[in-house]
Amino acid sequence: MDTILFVDDEPTTSTQPLRMLLEAKGFHCVSLTDMTSALEFLRKEQVSVLVTDIMMPSGDKFPGIDSSETGFHFVGRVRSEFPDVGIICLSVIGDQSKITKLKKQGVLYLRKGETPLDTAARLIESKATGTISY
Amino acid sequence: MSELESLQTEVAQLKAELAQTKAVNQKYLQNVAHQLTAPLGSIKWGIEALKDERVPIGRKGVLLSSIYSQATILVHLIKNFALMSNLEADLELGQFREKPEPIDVMRLSINLANDFQPQALDSEIKIVVNDDSFKKVFQTHFLEIEKNLVAQAASNIIENAVKYADRDTTVLISACLKGEHVGIQIESVGIPITKEEKENIFERGFRGYSAKQKVAAGTGIGLYLALRVMKLHGGGIEVKTEGKLSHFIMLFPRNRVAKGH
Repeated sequence: MDTILFVDDEPTTSTQPLRMLLEAKGFHCVSLTDMTSALEFLRKEQVSVLVTDIMMPSGDKFPGIDSSETGFHFVGRVRSEFPDVGIICLSVIGDQSKITKLKKQGVLYLRKGETPLDTAARLIESKATGTISY
Repeated sequence: MSELESLQTEVAQLKAELAQTKAVNQKYLQNVAHQLTAPLGSIKWGIEALKDERVPIGRKGVLLSSIYSQATILVHLIKNFALMSNLEADLELGQFREKPEPIDVMRLSINLANDFQPQALDSEIKIVVNDDSFKKVFQTHFLEIEKNLVAQAASNIIENAVKYADRDTTVLISACLKGEHVGIQIESVGIPITKEEKENIFERGFRGYSAKQKVAAGTGIGLYLALRVMKLHGGGIEVKTEGKLSHFIMLFPRNRVAKGH
């Protein structure tokens, strides 16, 4: 079973519907709330796709990071340490230059509230399995 | 230094200040946009998941309560923005445009606690109103206040308490007597507030380090507005902290205690 790791500081509200839908499709979803615990998890477990917010806490291992930029640091780390993990950013940032930078790193950017739930679930599924089901 | 040189320095300083204000405002607006978009996005996805047949029916109750709590957050947030402009006008006038009325503050506290119950439930937090303390302090008396303003100020403090409390703890709302004041106290157990943070906590846009580490996004206007409201009532807010325990006491002058209808 593929594991999808969600990193968001408000998981109950923010990613819960998406996780429910993916679980109904047979995925194993794990939800963590900061960069430190997410990196620790990635080092221990096999993760197919990472779905992360940008504005979130960095956790105790990275005290100097501004919480509005955490996701960018996190994505950089994951890219170099775990190049095989598919990354999807789920956030509300609107800064186009920053989004372009993410895309250059092979990250798929989804804006919260804009992408329909079903589409988001399918995009994650296709990152995980390489196929899209309808 | 010639007059021209000192003028040039002054202009350069003003320019730098203006650039800084602009940067602060931009960050603030970004934050506001985030704060509004996030709950709306959650509501949308919550509804889509509700409609989706693949999501088991047994899990849909959780979705409904989450949608409700997101809507509550949104209403509360928008009220804060409206309050901000009204308050500035009231403060300039030095008085309320609405006439204060005698209000049963125990009832008000219970209603507010109920408003935040769904949000609290998400983190397994209980909100308890200590009825006995209200009966002891106010007996049958009411408090002469501008209800909507005080409700919003209290909501801001309760919302923080719920947001930053540890899981499985209790947020306690009680009444107390403090010298020449009567108080409504909101007590919670959660992230500690440092001495330095305590000094800045009522500044507009300020958010403490641990607060950002727990919940990254926030506007930092809740306590700023709450204090403004209390000052307009001739009172204030006292903050007491001890490790993880925090008390925020909304203080009203005793002469606002009035006989009920």
